[in-house]
Amino acid sequence: MQNNPTNNSVNNFFIELGGLSRFTLQFFRELFRPPYEHKEFLRQAYQVGLNTLPLISITAFIMGLVLTLQSKPVMAEFGAESWLPGMVSVSIVREIGPVITALICAGKIGSGIGAELGSMRVTEQIDAMEVSGTNPLKYLVVTRVLATTFMIPILVFYADAISFYGSYLAVNLKDFLSLPLFMNLAFDPLHFYDLIPATIKTFFFGFAIGIIGCYKGYYAQNGTEGVGKAANSAVVISSLVIFIMDLIAVQLADLFNVFIR
Amino acid sequence: MSFENNISEFGENVIEINHLEKSFNGRTVLKDINLFLKRSENVVVLGKSGIGKSVLIKCIVGLIQPDSGSLKVFGKEVSEMNTKELNNLRTKVGFIFQGNALYDSMTVRENLEFPLRRNKILKDKKEIEELIVDALENVGLLEAIDKMPAELSGGMKKRIGLARTLILKPEIILYDEPTTGLDPLTSKEISNLILKIQTKYKASSIVITHDLNCAKITSNRMLILQDGVFLAKGTFEELQNSDNEWVRSFFEMA
Repeated sequence: MQNNPTNNSVNNFFIELGGLSRFTLQFFRELFRPPYEHKEFLRQAYQVGLNTLPLISITAFIMGLVLTLQSKPVMAEFGAESWLPGMVSVSIVREIGPVITALICAGKIGSGIGAELGSMRVTEQIDAMEVSGTNPLKYLVVTRVLATTFMIPILVFYADAISFYGSYLAVNLKDFLSLPLFMNLAFDPLHFYDLIPATIKTFFFGFAIGIIGCYKGYYAQNGTEGVGKAANSAVVISSLVIFIMDLIAVQLADLFNVFIR
Repeated sequence: MSFENNISEFGENVIEINHLEKSFNGRTVLKDINLFLKRSENVVVLGKSGIGKSVLIKCIVGLIQPDSGSLKVFGKEVSEMNTKELNNLRTKVGFIFQGNALYDSMTVRENLEFPLRRNKILKDKKEIEELIVDALENVGLLEAIDKMPAELSGGMKKRIGLARTLILKPEIILYDEPTTGLDPLTSKEISNLILKIQTKYKASSIVITHDLNCAKITSNRMLILQDGVFLAKGTFEELQNSDNEWVRSFFEMA
């Protein structure tokens, strides 16, 4: 086969896919093998939450506010203003909340993990860990992937709550609606079959952000240039994977709804 | 002192390497490596940059798997060790990295604590603190105990790297370019420290370097690596006056 750029790209794609799959298998093998790194997991979970909380708070607040302000005139045209809180809540809980939060985390946490592990790799800190009798895959990778997997769903719930508050304030900019009534209208159209698929997919988003960030950082090469590339590709790939996962999740959620209703 | 006399004064072999080979992407880096290291002996491996010296010592601690050949540490084949055995071996074999490899996010104290806690050697806080203080005093840097690695100079980082390795009291120490990037004065200090460690801890060492001053100070025996094989071996003086023209020219140019 002639060696052209298209062939190289295809080859690189499959090499990356194979590498990531092997890395994921290694993760699961180490996950169930003692010793368990509880302390480091809690430290990482704390870091993930702490680092993203301000950014998620602002973004979620604006998200709820803007969505409400943009939708209000259209709803008013149809005389359906009372449905506004419900429409906003369904949009946020089912789709916008999980995806936007995951994308913010991909940018903030994914790049952070990629850069941190990448820098540890190129400065031989990972090798140093290994020669001091510590399994770096367990200590660095398993803890970070678990932290993102379990923290992103919590952050999504938090972002949803803040968005609701943003929406409530937007409604009250011109009109008056009490908070209990707003919440009643917002939660009324929400069902468990809205919440369950939306929550399940956030675990997968969190896992993707963690494993891709770790993979890119763990195998970073070529000094500081490699660290930059690792951080950058961790964000790009995990954002892309989040959209692909969301597409699949929407189809599966529709199937789920057909069986439940 | 001649090469043969030099060997006989040391103990049994702690490392034995026979016909070791390693290639990367079709490029053979190590062709036919044969090496032994005796107890309490310092062996210096000299050679040009990028010739595979670091690969050799990374094979010894299992960071890189050789393609073929035998590599025994304390009489046990490294490639046949399971994870537990390998981790056990790594507590006895210290490794000083070229770039020091101090953990950026930890203070000097935490850097030194890390191998102790991970290997569950000591659980008592007081004992751990005493060991850390002792290790830092050995390298003359007790005042840096609460500093971050970013606050230290190159020479200080080297010393802290040494202290972190010494804290596990290894029987073998592998030094990867210990004086690279240091000024001549600090290089000499580090070389003297390596010698002091050999005397104080009775540790065997392999020192990878292309710094002839470091080699002269630290070596009991020297090996010159060229094109994947050891081209020459002997004491510093023997190699300096070698019949081999390449070896002589290496000494002259260095």
